[in-house]
Amino acid sequence: MACDHAGLLPLLADGELGAARRWLLSRHVARCAACAAAMEELQSMRTALRTRLVQHRAPPELAARIGAALAHEPVPEPVRPARQSSVRFASLGFAGSGLAGALAGVALTLLVLRPPAGGGMESAVIGSHVRSLMAQHLTDVATSDQHTVKPWLSARLDVSPPVRELADQGFPLVGGRLDYIDGHPAAAVVYRHAQHVINLFAWASPGQPDAPIRTETRQGFNLVTWRTDGITFWAVSDLEADQLGRFARLVHGG
Amino acid sequence: MPVHQDDRRRRFELLALPHLDAAYNLARWLAGNTADAEDVVQEAYLRAYRYFDAFHDGNIRVWLLTIVRNCFVTWAKENRSSRLSFVAETPVAEAAGVEEILWGTAPRDPEALLLDRIDSETLSALMQRLPADYREILLLREVEDLSYKEIATVTGAAIGTVMSRLSRARDALRKLWMQQAAKETADGV
Repeated sequence: MACDHAGLLPLLADGELGAARRWLLSRHVARCAACAAAMEELQSMRTALRTRLVQHRAPPELAARIGAALAHEPVPEPVRPARQSSVRFASLGFAGSGLAGALAGVALTLLVLRPPAGGGMESAVIGSHVRSLMAQHLTDVATSDQHTVKPWLSARLDVSPPVRELADQGFPLVGGRLDYIDGHPAAAVVYRHAQHVINLFAWASPGQPDAPIRTETRQGFNLVTWRTDGITFWAVSDLEADQLGRFARLVHGG
Repeated sequence: MPVHQDDRRRRFELLALPHLDAAYNLARWLAGNTADAEDVVQEAYLRAYRYFDAFHDGNIRVWLLTIVRNCFVTWAKENRSSRLSFVAETPVAEAAGVEEILWGTAPRDPEALLLDRIDSETLSALMQRLPADYREILLLREVEDLSYKEIATVTGAAIGTVMSRLSRARDALRKLWMQQAAKETADGV
């Protein structure tokens, strides 16, 4: 039988009661079997909705489309110029996962990096990765078929990078793109892991010796580089370092 | 001038893009398909950007979800979408078969209600059968973890309405689930 207090249980479960009433009601629930069962029911529905309900993730193209559309938006007259110049970075603490999170990292990087900090290939690679996510230009050829991407790149570059099918290992191929990094025309082969985008850059380095896999972290991105058979590789992503390392070993050793 | 525009855009992206998944999830559950959800979210983000100067403090996620919700309503009206089956405060659901479920007198049996045993597909299907405003409020409360006040902001409803609607939405989902469980038992699953 429903208890007189049953009507307040949703408020308790939803955290909408003040401290005093919360304490009183919790004490009651501990002694009342009907209320305890009802609370459990509320909790199990919540758990089910949080863990089992399909969570639709924004497709990567959508972020790119919005980014591109924003660039064409006319800017309204500033109402309060420069008042919010100190952006509240704290709000990024719980930045959404997935690509949206990646893009926040991107925007953050752009803010922080202007003017570009730290020279070198790392910055060039990260810059290219960032641009590929921001602009509507992740891929020139969008396909998960390695037999389409490889000839497409080979036809346009002096390098024929290996394009592997790694979907079974959790890294589906997204497509390929022409890029230009630090003076090199480069192939960019794009993979994904969950919602993380991985750019795998490759360019010709004729005559240079092979170099083993090296990992580093820069500006919130993880990078892995190596050189084999006169081709320099850089993989960059906001993916966790060990996952990106696994990816690199798959490409390198496969 | 262009510098100002770039700064403004970056600031917007910095604050708004982390919530793209939440915005999309709401739009997708409301609109029911990918293409319409994408259109709604894109429109919402452009609108948010235009009015970004009007956003002062507070929770940008709540602000964005409010705009997504408004964009969905506009979109659904323009397209005369049947997805806009908000039941308002009339307790009669338009969705077929939901009506008697909402007001049926299923015995309340907590034992039978182990929702934590439900599989993802079944749960999503049950949610789809709920009227849009029930689906919406369950998402906002249980998935997005918004407070009653925040839900009131997003949906434009009074707090009292939020509470009663949430209660009815939970009842409706519970009854659908019990019906489903009973059916599975009868089928010998």
